[in-house]
Amino acid sequence: MEAVMLIEQVGALGHPILRQRFSGAGAECRVGQDLDCDIVVDDEHAAAQHALLTLLEDGRVRVQDLGTHNGTRVGGKRVPADGTVIEQGEIIVGHTRLHVRTRHTPIGQERVFRREFVQKYRTPLAAGGVAACIAYAGFRQWLNAPSSLSRSLITGTLITLGVLSLWTAIWSLMTKLNKGRWEVRVHLTIASMGAAFCAWGYWVGGLVAYAAQWSVLAQVGVVVVGATAFVALYLHLREATRYGRHIALAFAGASTIVISAIAWVIAVGVDTSDVNRMDLGPDVRLETRRVVPNRDIAEYLIEVDRLQRAAGRERQKSLLNAPLADAGD
Amino acid sequence: MRTYGLFIAAAWLCTVATGAAAQTAGAADRAERLPPPAETPAVPSPTDEQQRPPGEETIDEAAIEAEIAAQELSGEAQVRLDAARDSVVQIQGFFEGSESSAFHGSGFAVEDGRRIVTNYHVVAQAVMYPQQYRLKYLASDGREGPLHVLAIDVRNDLAIVAADDLELPPLKLRPDIPAQGERAWSIGFPLNLGLTITEGVANGLVENRIAERIHYTGAINGGMSGGPALDRRGRVYGVNVSVVTNRQLVGFIVPAKHIPALLARAGEPLEKQFSALQLRQRVTTQVLAYESEVLEAEPSGADTQPVRGFVLPTEITPYVECSTFDERGPHVRVRVEVISCRVPSQLSVQSGVPVAGLTMQHRIVRSAGLSPLQFERQVNDVAAETPRTGQPAHVAPFACHDGLVSLDGFDARISTCVRQYRLFAELYDFSVTVVSIDDETQALVSRLSLQGVAFDSGERILKRYLGALQWKP
Repeated sequence: MEAVMLIEQVGALGHPILRQRFSGAGAECRVGQDLDCDIVVDDEHAAAQHALLTLLEDGRVRVQDLGTHNGTRVGGKRVPADGTVIEQGEIIVGHTRLHVRTRHTPIGQERVFRREFVQKYRTPLAAGGVAACIAYAGFRQWLNAPSSLSRSLITGTLITLGVLSLWTAIWSLMTKLNKGRWEVRVHLTIASMGAAFCAWGYWVGGLVAYAAQWSVLAQVGVVVVGATAFVALYLHLREATRYGRHIALAFAGASTIVISAIAWVIAVGVDTSDVNRMDLGPDVRLETRRVVPNRDIAEYLIEVDRLQRAAGRERQKSLLNAPLADAGD
Repeated sequence: MRTYGLFIAAAWLCTVATGAAAQTAGAADRAERLPPPAETPAVPSPTDEQQRPPGEETIDEAAIEAEIAAQELSGEAQVRLDAARDSVVQIQGFFEGSESSAFHGSGFAVEDGRRIVTNYHVVAQAVMYPQQYRLKYLASDGREGPLHVLAIDVRNDLAIVAADDLELPPLKLRPDIPAQGERAWSIGFPLNLGLTITEGVANGLVENRIAERIHYTGAINGGMSGGPALDRRGRVYGVNVSVVTNRQLVGFIVPAKHIPALLARAGEPLEKQFSALQLRQRVTTQVLAYESEVLEAEPSGADTQPVRGFVLPTEITPYVECSTFDERGPHVRVRVEVISCRVPSQLSVQSGVPVAGLTMQHRIVRSAGLSPLQFERQVNDVAAETPRTGQPAHVAPFACHDGLVSLDGFDARISTCVRQYRLFAELYDFSVTVVSIDDETQALVSRLSLQGVAFDSGERILKRYLGALQWKP
């Protein structure tokens, strides 16, 4: 089989901007600023005659630096004076990147084309997500029993749409730059579904916490927000960038930690021992929807009795943090 | 009705605050967290040099009558002031090595002229923080020197102080209460403006006042605390203690009859006898004795008030004062009726730390056509309005416990929060919020706040309070 090498010059955004194929053992490809080169680079950091790539009989490629000052790099390492032989990889000439492929480069199996769920149903999903967001905004406005409901609803709707548009626009633009497509509905689906899930999930979490009378459950809302943010960010990144799965996961995970921390501060409050506890948990507690039995006064007082020790611990902590100026003991 | 109720509440509040902040004339940091306090002491000076030992517990009325008759009777403020001038001193407190005073008040010599009477709140900082604050007297002739605290009476807000080499002409004490309308004077150092006398009228003992106070209609201002209140014969009928701020000339005087018992207790300087911890325990003991007497006393008569189906505890102790008014709700379609009850804290263990106080506020919140969900939201807003009191320097953070509790005739969610005083481990604040549930058009939001009580005592009051709440349509 005839030896072949494919050389791609990579543009600033990571796309190939030039692709050239060389065949036959002994084929040579010169790289440099000189117009006589096979690959002419407009790179002031490259020499006129910078590097020479020779296709060997065994199908590999010899890379030689033509005595330049900046040198030529293969896989991050500078090519020695006598050159180096590669099967594939990235060559850097000045600031220009070249991808080399030969017959030694493994070719993966054909990946079966599969329309993803979000892609397939992007129109109804985006519409549903936006509707859910507007519904939540409207519900919150209505809950406050405003004097002019229509005006509040319009305000809530506009704010919701504004935020969603901005968010979607940023991701769509990123997708356009990276992949050449806008994918507006896909990003709108991810954003609106994520936001709606956060909002309603947080609210329902609070409701469940109240019904079960287990205040820790109120913090479930934070988990809901965190998980939703993680999934949404991952999907956005996968859609809009060429990052691999691991990098996307890492980015989404880091962002999720920050978002969860903010949600935690909002949900739990900085000071959990604040006397103002009635605004913890859900804003609305549905009538008699509680699953735990009521205590009677005596039972409750027994529980209150334990507060003496808890208050003592708080005092110890506060004394450790800020000792009394003049305890004198 | 509402205005009147607010006035009463504000008036007591100011009184308490003034009591608490009596010594803060020069300390901006303490003054700012309290309503502007104004305490003016006015003490009468004895016109003669008789040295009647005021420590005597038994009162020889005939002797008193004879004595009174022998004294110069004068309605002239100038005469009163001249006679008392040498007996009154300004008491100043200094923070560590500072040369500018942190707080100041007044005091006057009694008994043999070596003992000086003042308010406890004037010297409280020095008692609580003996290593940080020192006291100094400044006599009318310009002499000055260090002062020591010999005895304290937290309940009556009195203290006996003395200086090593100071002997002043003593003032004579009058153990009875002046008749209402009797002309009276108060002497002290208001706002650091120098020795001042104010003229007014004694209006007898204040009714339903837990600690005995004589109502004095005359100007009293911050810095006069601890000064003598004089009658027409120049005798001290009491000690200036506090004033209602933002009102006209409503001042309070501690009756002089509490002084002899305290004088009898005064011996060595306290700081030589006790460690700071022991001193705090002594203060705490006095507070707790007062608290159990005042806050835990059994009410005499009807102690509940029915409002829109709820039966609400009002006088859970005999000293509670209540007012009823309607309040602007958080929303135009929410109506709120308020029953506000309080036993004002009249003790403060140190500046800005009032203790042994009780406040109950019942709010009946009614919906005017809101949907149940909307109404719940409004009720939560009402319930979440919590006045923030207490400074991190004085109190530890709250520890809280929530629960759904079946009360008499209705269910409620209850949140109880308790915090301990940093300096006084036996004193606690309670903040309890009760919110009735399951009614779509009406809710009770009731709050009980206890300031500076023993934990057990707080629990008993909480039990009494919860047991008294009732739904009885």
